[in-house]
Amino acid sequence: MKILIADDSRVMRQIVTRTLRQAGFGDHDLVEAADGKQAVDMAVAEKPDLVISDWNMPEMTGIEVLQQLRAAGNNVKFGFVTSECTAEMQQAAEAAGSAFFIVKPFTAERFDEVFSPILG
Amino acid sequence: MSEPVVTEGDLAEMAEQVWVSYLDPEGVNPLVPHGDVKQLSEVHSTVSITGSWHGHLVYASSQNAARKAAAAFLAMEPDEVAQEDISDVLGELANIVGGNVKAMLPAGCFLSLPTVVLAPDTASYYPAAERISGLYGVWDGEPVSISMWQSVKQEASA
Repeated sequence: MKILIADDSRVMRQIVTRTLRQAGFGDHDLVEAADGKQAVDMAVAEKPDLVISDWNMPEMTGIEVLQQLRAAGNNVKFGFVTSECTAEMQQAAEAAGSAFFIVKPFTAERFDEVFSPILG
Repeated sequence: MSEPVVTEGDLAEMAEQVWVSYLDPEGVNPLVPHGDVKQLSEVHSTVSITGSWHGHLVYASSQNAARKAAAAFLAMEPDEVAQEDISDVLGELANIVGGNVKAMLPAGCFLSLPTVVLAPDTASYYPAAERISGLYGVWDGEPVSISMWQSVKQEASA
């Protein structure tokens, strides 16, 4: 499967990559986006099977990325890895079609729990 | 004076999660609080919170602590870490703690992207804001602090 990791922090993209590996999902094809607009462009161009996105990013927020993709008829499996974890944000994410919500700081166990049903 | 919306104890819990997850996964080198608010820093990062609550979350440390944090985040040796990585990690630390702080505030708050300043936290001023709580300690012998600043104007009108 191809996974798009969208986060404006290069270090955090590396940590997501490392944690995916630690959780046993290291064999997937990973691509990265450094802001919200790039995430939309790459979700279209790269046709990933899964998007793991930060919420607070330059250019477009993660929820705007998800909304824009859905408005364009793109139903890629999409979820958030973010430090922000209010109930209103989780509800907004769910309403927009988000499949998961992982709060930073996270562990490999949390990744395993969330991604096992998705990545197998 | 009433208890701040986010206390030193709350900040300590958030810091512990960050340390366990990224900076000290083996549990051998935790952040040890000492409460010295006059502790000197060399670099800092800030996220601003607006909306139903106004203020700033500031993460500050020595340059060595920032380099060690970047090394831990990246699973590299401290001398392999680039300045760009140090700035990135400083911003991410403020973002992670700020995001968790936001969850404790009234609904309707917005978190800014982080600002990183490679100078002591005393180099930044927060007009019309005062420090309401802070966690001050040492990590592996290096100073680290996390402090909360609240808009004075909002407090006066509350």
